[in-house]
Amino acid sequence: MKCQLLTFDLLVRAMDHELSPAEMEWVPAHIAGCSECSHERESIANVSQNIETVVNSAPVIEYPGDRAQWVVVKPIRHAPDRVMRRFGWGMAIAATLAIGIIIAPKPRTLPAERRPITEQPLAAVSNAIEVDGETFVALPYSNPDLPTSAPRIVQMQVPVSSLADIGLGLEQVTSEVSNQDRTVLADVLLGADGQPLGVHVVSWD
Amino acid sequence: MNQGRLLTFPAVPWKFESVENGNNSRVLLELYDREQTPLKRYLAMLGVDPETARDVVQESFLKLHEHLLGGGDQGNLRAWLYRVVHNNARNRQTSFGARNTGRIDDLPPSANPVARDESPEQKLLGQEREMRMRQAMDQLSDAQRACLVLRTQGLKYREIAASLDLSVSTVGENVQRGLERLREML
Repeated sequence: MKCQLLTFDLLVRAMDHELSPAEMEWVPAHIAGCSECSHERESIANVSQNIETVVNSAPVIEYPGDRAQWVVVKPIRHAPDRVMRRFGWGMAIAATLAIGIIIAPKPRTLPAERRPITEQPLAAVSNAIEVDGETFVALPYSNPDLPTSAPRIVQMQVPVSSLADIGLGLEQVTSEVSNQDRTVLADVLLGADGQPLGVHVVSWD
Repeated sequence: MNQGRLLTFPAVPWKFESVENGNNSRVLLELYDREQTPLKRYLAMLGVDPETARDVVQESFLKLHEHLLGGGDQGNLRAWLYRVVHNNARNRQTSFGARNTGRIDDLPPSANPVARDESPEQKLLGQEREMRMRQAMDQLSDAQRACLVLRTQGLKYREIAASLDLSVSTVGENVQRGLERLREML
């Protein structure tokens, strides 16, 4: 640099818009009025342009699939901490309710295929009632809130057709003559109100 | 008069507001469209072969995707991206430059479309000038070359500093010394 006022450092930073506010007050004005600095700036600009030419001529490889990888990328969600900060309590309550609904006991119909009772263990039925080591199939429409602490168990003949109505199919589905009059011996669990809560088939001939 | 293209670099507002809006996929794609070629050129200028550069850039955008997913800092994604690309490439090669993959002056001649309007003599002179510049850039230190190339890509000193893990003043020194050396050699 021939100019005694401006250093090379200042000149380059002026070209790169990297001057401090204090330097901005006088450096650009000086360059504009100093022929030596203007000449230096032109020289540096030429070098910079040559660098740019070399950089822009550098070979690059791009396959069509490269971009597609980012086109199909799934939408990025908010950061977990931000989501929790905004909706944390609401999400926690919703999750608790959802889990409660999933694990809560609910009536379930047995499989459609009619299988002999020997292949259908009652203990595996989700809506079973356990009393004194005996398993009863809960009857639909019975009140599950009634106490079973003082149950009564009555053994009686129960029509097979009645059992079929509550999902206990004891007969293979057939087009032959029906066995509507047939009965089986069963233990019937009675609730405190005297209404039947469940049934346990004792024998099957 | 050549005013120098560095004076006219657009001040790109690298503030990805859409990131704040959660539309990160679009931001990722925009950033890819805008930066993948400059990133590969940057790596080429550091002596990384084109195939490796392509792999490094793809890996780096995957990291960017994960970075956004994890709620990482979104202040200056471009500087972040250059830093990741730089480090990924460095992990693949113990040192950049001519010692590993090839010299910058081994690169093919420029395919600049402007050259179509030039006479054969002008074209030849341009190619010679380009070749001399490549040879001169090969003589720079890795840091000087990296700073000059990133400056050419339009990064501010603070962005270059963030990309290369240097201080802003060191970036300024590298730029100035690199330019001085190139001017002397040419």
